Amino acid sequence: MIRFEQVTKVYDQKSKPALDGVSLDVDRGEFVFLVGASGSGKSTFIRLVLKEDRATRGAVYVAGQNVANIPSWRVPKLRRGIGVVFQDFRLLPNKSVFANVAFAMQVIGKSRAVIRETVPEVLKTVGLEGKNNRMPHELSGGEQQRVAIARAIVNKPGILLADEPTGNLDPTTSMGIMKVLDKINQNGTTVVMATHDDDIVNTMRKRVVELRDGCVVRDDAQGIYIGETTTTAAAAG
Amino acid sequence: MRFAFVLGEIASGMRRNLVMVVSVVLVTFISLTFVGAAGLLQLQINQMKGYWYDRVQVAVFLCVENSTSESCASGPVTDEQRSAIEAKLNSPELSPYVDTVEYESQDQALVHFREQLANSPIVEAVTAEQLPESFRIGLVDPEKYEVISEAFSSEPGVDIVSDQREYLEEIFGYINIASLVALGIAVVMSVGAILLVATTIRLSAFSRRRETGIMRLVGASKAIIQLPFVLEGVIAAILGAAIASCTLWAVLRYGGEWLSREYPQMGFISTQELLLVIPALFLLGALLAGASSLLTLRRYLKV
Repeated sequence: MIRFEQVTKVYDQKSKPALDGVSLDVDRGEFVFLVGASGSGKSTFIRLVLKEDRATRGAVYVAGQNVANIPSWRVPKLRRGIGVVFQDFRLLPNKSVFANVAFAMQVIGKSRAVIRETVPEVLKTVGLEGKNNRMPHELSGGEQQRVAIARAIVNKPGILLADEPTGNLDPTTSMGIMKVLDKINQNGTTVVMATHDDDIVNTMRKRVVELRDGCVVRDDAQGIYIGETTTTAAAAG
Repeated sequence: MRFAFVLGEIASGMRRNLVMVVSVVLVTFISLTFVGAAGLLQLQINQMKGYWYDRVQVAVFLCVENSTSESCASGPVTDEQRSAIEAKLNSPELSPYVDTVEYESQDQALVHFREQLANSPIVEAVTAEQLPESFRIGLVDPEKYEVISEAFSSEPGVDIVSDQREYLEEIFGYINIASLVALGIAVVMSVGAILLVATTIRLSAFSRRRETGIMRLVGASKAIIQLPFVLEGVIAAILGAAIASCTLWAVLRYGGEWLSREYPQMGFISTQELLLVIPALFLLGALLAGASSLLTLRRYLKV
């Protein structure tokens, strides 16, 4: 579903590359944790998948297509196939829960009837039944993130990218969010989640890809999170 | 759905940005009013040319008692001189240029004089003897005035050869200057309008960066993201054009009415000419605003 071939991304000629010769394969329907310290290249990975940035060297394939060959006017189509969730939710504060989710459908021209039918379904999937008319500021952090997830999946993308989705949430709420992401993954969506929340990684027992200084240093099928101190110690030893 | 969505976005954008939108409306209104005024003045010149060039004549005035020019040294024109002039006008050399020749006697001159200055006390004091007789010559081509002037200015018995077109040219000159001034103001104001549209759209894009960011992420097309902004500018400019059109209409309707009453012979343009100018104003306003917003968005709204 996502394939990186020797991908290098250099933002600034003087500094170190954000990604350095990364090769990675994520299959359809997989759930992958992308772990690593801040600045290890997790967000760059996500930006490259979305074609927000171009790889300096190497090739990025999304759904079998080399994103470098997608003309700019086709990029929206690429992005419709990818849902994204962020640490800071990015909801529209002046729109209700329903309107926030509906917005993602309106802007790609879905009909009102389809929106009215789909949005409540998706809100149910993320566990927000009956909160259609709440405003974002009336919701807890966990609920806001659920709205953001609902918005990301409402157009039924094949891939869901989550950039530290639990970064602002307490452990209990985070586990709730993970259940939602797991459910979405069970429904066939490929999920790539960047995180440095060790509890979550250790509980979920999914594939773990660790980045350090832009390089893949570990790729375990049912991995655990290895803390910063441990890896530094291992590297030292 | 998409249409309703775009309309909703425009409405919310204009509400948030109301002060800027109003200033865009006002600036485009002023600039387009001057553009329109320049256009109307040019149309007025054309209208007057069409009307007057058919009517203007070259007048060959003959000597009277108190003429001062050299060719009148021998006193008032004699019958022989008059016949010679008339013969020359009808001669084969001049006939290709001359369309019509009318002779105006001193008595007829007095009648015309009284008609033209009906309200002036000077009329009573003027007698037929003081006014010159003249040949009124309609030219085939009004531009060929020089030919007549050369042929007759030193002819005995001829006082002066005068071309009425000269007076018209002078008037046209003034109107032309007025129209250039209007155009100059229009250009400056239009530059102001373009910059103001750019600033407004930039602010608008900034205040809605959350929305556009999300639109981008969920794969909205470039058109659907940019259209509300471009239309916001275009709608403001079209409002400005509408106000400018109303202003020009009012000026022509009431100002023109007053002028035609005061100068019934001048042939002023009417509100009909606005039918040419108004569509041009709307088109120009929409184009300026549209181009300016698109260029701004290319820089400030990543898609």
